[in-house]
Amino acid sequence: MPGEPAKRQKREQYKKSLTTDESKHASLPQKKFYRQRAHANPFSDHLLTYPISPEQMDWSTHYPAYTIRNDKEENVTGDSHDQVETRSANGMKKKVEIADIGCGFGGLLFALAPMFPETLILGIEIRTSVTEYVQEKVRALRTQNKDTGGFQNASCIRANSMKFLPNFFFKAQLGKIFLCFPDPHFKQRKHKARIVSYTLNSEYAYVLRPGGIVYTITDVEDLHNWMVEHFERHPSFERLGEEEQENEECVAVMRSETEEGKKVERNKGQKFVALFRRLDDPPWPSEH
Amino acid sequence: MVPYQCIQVCERSTNGSHEWILVGASGSKLVIQSSNGATRTWAGEDKYMNLKENETEEPPEKKVKLSSPNEYSPTFSCLAISNDKQYVVAVTAEDKCVRVFQINSDYHLHEISQRCMARRPCAIALTSDDSTILCADKFGDVYALPLISPAEDVHHESLADEPNEAATQKQFVPAASLLTVHSGRNRKVLEEQIKLASKGRMKTKEPLQFKHELLLGHVSMLTDVVYTTVSGRNYILTSDRDEHIRVSRGPPQAHIIECFCQGHEEFVSKLCLTTSGFLISGGGDPYLCVWDWLKGRLLEKICIRTAVITFLGEQPELASTLPHNTEGFKIAISGIWSTPRNYNEVNEVLVVCEGVPAFFYVRLESPAVVETVPLNGNALDIAFISASESICTAVVAVDHMHKPWFTTERRADEGRGRLQCFECRDGRWGQDRKLESELEWFSRRAPDTDGERRDAGPALLADDSVRARQKDEKAFRDVLYGVEKLRKRSGADEQD
Ligand SMILES: C[S@@+](CC[C@H](N)C(=O)[O-])C[C@H]1O[C@@H](n2cnc3c(N)ncnc32)[C@H](O)[C@@H]1O
Repeated sequence: MPGEPAKRQKREQYKKSLTTDESKHASLPQKKFYRQRAHANPFSDHLLTYPISPEQMDWSTHYPAYTIRNDKEENVTGDSHDQVETRSANGMKKKVEIADIGCGFGGLLFALAPMFPETLILGIEIRTSVTEYVQEKVRALRTQNKDTGGFQNASCIRANSMKFLPNFFFKAQLGKIFLCFPDPHFKQRKHKARIVSYTLNSEYAYVLRPGGIVYTITDVEDLHNWMVEHFERHPSFERLGEEEQENEECVAVMRSETEEGKKVERNKGQKFVALFRRLDDPPWPSEH
Repeated sequence: MVPYQCIQVCERSTNGSHEWILVGASGSKLVIQSSNGATRTWAGEDKYMNLKENETEEPPEKKVKLSSPNEYSPTFSCLAISNDKQYVVAVTAEDKCVRVFQINSDYHLHEISQRCMARRPCAIALTSDDSTILCADKFGDVYALPLISPAEDVHHESLADEPNEAATQKQFVPAASLLTVHSGRNRKVLEEQIKLASKGRMKTKEPLQFKHELLLGHVSMLTDVVYTTVSGRNYILTSDRDEHIRVSRGPPQAHIIECFCQGHEEFVSKLCLTTSGFLISGGGDPYLCVWDWLKGRLLEKICIRTAVITFLGEQPELASTLPHNTEGFKIAISGIWSTPRNYNEVNEVLVVCEGVPAFFYVRLESPAVVETVPLNGNALDIAFISASESICTAVVAVDHMHKPWFTTERRADEGRGRLQCFECRDGRWGQDRKLESELEWFSRRAPDTDGERRDAGPALLADDSVRARQKDEKAFRDVLYGVEKLRKRSGADEQD
């Protein structure tokens, strides 16, 4: 963020102190040092780093507790069969299965982590500072919860999810995708910038396994209608019914724990929820 | 006389006799020469016949152009020939228009439709049954258009990405109320919308007045599209300005992504299937990628950059332009063609790089072999004529206007031909002088129409026309040399 030099300097000093000062390892980062302009253009060529393919993604720094080389015993016992597995999982015992796309300051991510302690959860955020904040918070929470090993399953990457999901995730890798309070992009000219569209839904379908679920929530009714229309039109998805939706354990959390959800709560605004299930691919047209 | 930015060969057998028709796009004109010596030029004679009502409702800027027909001459940017050899499908850049021409029995081109898209088409392909044109655009979407537009199809389907379109006539309802929580910027846009709506001036986009179906989309400019069938299954392959190559099912299941071919580190600009079914791709990387594309598996990378550097180093007049340290030397692969099927079944392609006066003959043996064939000018496009079972002939469009290895500097001697012909015998490419002289008219004289504005010297033109001409020239150069421009500039558009 440009900002005045003094402000930037303060931020840098603060951020540096978090890593150098031992006593601060367990203290949560302060949001005010990480705020950033609300909108990033999903079409532009940001200075993004991303792997050429999911095979080449190094997850070990994000989930150190789940790397195989961290766990000597398992490494030694590995027969040849194990080794094949090792390689295909990039040296990781687990793969990410829950993605919070546009995770912002990570409210949902940190609420989901204890709910699914055995599942790797990843926040994806395009804004650099916001991503940094989440990463610092992960670090602090891991330090605070050293005894229980809590929050080892949560992490965050900076990425443009609209372009590079297939660089991070294999086909059918994910079980849940959260799209919480996406930027509404009101202008019609900018509708292609929306994080939900008929064509992008094909990519969500690609990274989701059949039976996997996309969770959406927004306070903008028009955007809700848009998301419903675009997912319902897409043959790879079906919408969950009201009852099934409300029985989903993540729905209440998504309403209450997202930062935006809290803001809407304070302003007594409405929240619109819709869930979509990834269906099996049909047989090829000629092979019915 | 400008170079041929695109050429295509249409080979067909009529009444038992084999013939070929060479079709070239030179600026805003189409030029034709057939094997029996017929020569034709299409310079937009009937271009105002097919204007539909909605096209006159375009923004004022375009209206002006239409009312002064002399200056309205968009540049062709893509050419394709239907599998049944009856039609030429072309794209013109400035007006984003997909045009279909029928090849008449007297070799005249008859334009049967003009469909101007909302976004500029970057590549086109036809389905194998010729029913559908796949049009890949600058905003990353692929649309299906029927090759022959049904007569009364004013009631087109609405776009899948624009569900609002169907409702454009409805009164505008703001997308949210001011009570909902928004960032400052969104709030401003919203307030603006409400203001405009109250004045009844809310602009909504004009829907396209012809049948077009959104099949799939990337969030990146598309650079190429290929349609193919393997064991009864149809596929669409698409490449983009990021590093992606996507393999989707063909319609009606084009929403299903089968896999990605991941391995490029720079933009991908061209896709090419070899006769035995491998996919070869190239773009801003120093190498070609060879794929088992059904599995998304990278089989091999074949370095082209080394061949380019070696070639340039051997040219007395070009060697000095090579940087001392060639490590960061960049090439932009702008064309890949598989040699025709009836020639033989090996995996071999011809490759050209933007602004390089040579083509590269690449055989996928182990290890791969790359041979260089020098040209008189920068290579622009290649088409094949299969003269016989054993001989393959390549017609190469070369840039006679710009200096070899330069994309902007004009050369002094523009009199040279715009085509060079080569034949491959026993794996060696040699110049085919006979065909070159047969194509003399096409190469050096066409199009022979009167009053060519584009070629008149600037001094002869009024100010306005000079400006129009400069604009034309820029559009033309973008079509000729638009590939290197796909490269991302590091640091560009950083938002932080
Ligand atoms: C309105 S915020 C919602 C944050 C969070 N999900 C919540 O509910 O509190 C939307 C977030 O999506 C991020 N975002 C927008 N486009 C994105 C993209 N293409 N890839 C990743 N993140 C994106 C924005 O930077 C922003 O932080």
